Amino acid sequence: MLRRTIPAVLIAAAAAFCCYWWLTAPSALALPARTRAPDLANGQELFNTGGCSSCHAVPNQPDRLLLGGGLPLGSPFGTFYAPNISPDPTDGIGRWSESDFVNAVNRGISPEGTHYFPAFPYTSYHIADVDDVRDIFAYLKTLPSVQGKAPDHDVPFPFSIRRNVGIWKLLFMDRKPFAPDASRSPQWNRGAYLVNGFGHCAECHSPRNVLGGIVTSQRFAGGPNPDGEGWVPNITQKGIGSWSEKDIADFLETGDMPEGDSASGAMRPVIKNTALLKPEDRAAMAAYLKSLPPVDGPTPPKRKPGGG
Amino acid sequence: MKRTMIVAGTLLLGAGAVMAQQEIAVQQDNLMRSIAKNQYGVILKMTKGDIPYDQKAVDEAIASIEADVGKIAKTFEVNPKQDVVNATYGSSPKIWQNKADFDSKIPPVQKAIADVKGKITDAASLKAAYTAINDRCNDCHETYRVKLK
Repeated sequence: MLRRTIPAVLIAAAAAFCCYWWLTAPSALALPARTRAPDLANGQELFNTGGCSSCHAVPNQPDRLLLGGGLPLGSPFGTFYAPNISPDPTDGIGRWSESDFVNAVNRGISPEGTHYFPAFPYTSYHIADVDDVRDIFAYLKTLPSVQGKAPDHDVPFPFSIRRNVGIWKLLFMDRKPFAPDASRSPQWNRGAYLVNGFGHCAECHSPRNVLGGIVTSQRFAGGPNPDGEGWVPNITQKGIGSWSEKDIADFLETGDMPEGDSASGAMRPVIKNTALLKPEDRAAMAAYLKSLPPVDGPTPPKRKPGGG
Repeated sequence: MKRTMIVAGTLLLGAGAVMAQQEIAVQQDNLMRSIAKNQYGVILKMTKGDIPYDQKAVDEAIASIEADVGKIAKTFEVNPKQDVVNATYGSSPKIWQNKADFDSKIPPVQKAIADVKGKITDAASLKAAYTAINDRCNDCHETYRVKLK
């Protein structure tokens, strides 16, 4: 009996492993030909929309363009450290090809062919136009080189196995490029592209399930701060219905809210980026956000002790 | 009987401690609200033209903010370990893990206020003053102020 069971179990295990290996294989994107010349100004605009500096700039120093990494990002799955994306050839992305960069941003795959953890919001960036991503790459190349590598991520088993991220991507990551809505204005579509793509607003402004996937039905309806402290507000019309389109655009420029307050916490670094955008891009984002139907989000804890 | 009294006494003391902590949280919240009332309710509204420019109101608002900012370090000395009931914003526990860093954020606010004091004469200079002061408020709020809902 046992003599027959053992091989059967071994075969089943091998088959399961093959299946796992196949399902979790990183699938790189074949780079299509460029449709236009590189545009550094566009690269800078999208670099600012993407908030790249907020995570990748060297912490505790004033220059937002020193992208040496090192900022710790807390999460329920461990602490991630933003890597060096300066043009340094050894510690940064100086030796990367354009294809390496596009696959990192649009697919969450490293030049070595491993999965990045979704702390890097490629789950939003994947809708980005490949030529836009190339513009960001060209822009990054113009920034100063910074030496030094960020610490390794502090992520416990089993989350530490990068191959598992392949399963996570199958469950929670869409791979479709941005699909414009022909019934809406070009401004709305631009806003939808920026908010859902580079802006990656939904990454913090949505609740997540136990595996860390965004709860699609409550996208933009707010939730606990993924970094651990406090609450990220509902930005559907349920939460900011009293804000006009202009209020939203002004907020993205100054951080000032119509109810007489100013953005704080994790939103403050976001405002530092959106303040640098072209007014028409902020207006487009506002037009899209104002169009989000009201959705009830999870309820914030009534009274959360501050701890000590 | 004795045991009941001890239990009741302990419970009362416990409740008292909880109330005292809530009191501290409320005092801290009230101080920040008082600043916000002047900074946003008066100054920001005037820069936006929501209310007309009023020199006397501006001078009073700046003086009041200056006085309140001077009280922050002392008012935030104790960690209340809880948020004000139903508050939209609260204090990060990081304040009391890095109290020296928290306190070091205050003098730049005071300097920004001193730099503009007495030099605000119209809506344009008020707007510049608002931004100069608010940017320094934000340097601290980015780390130590937490949105709760």
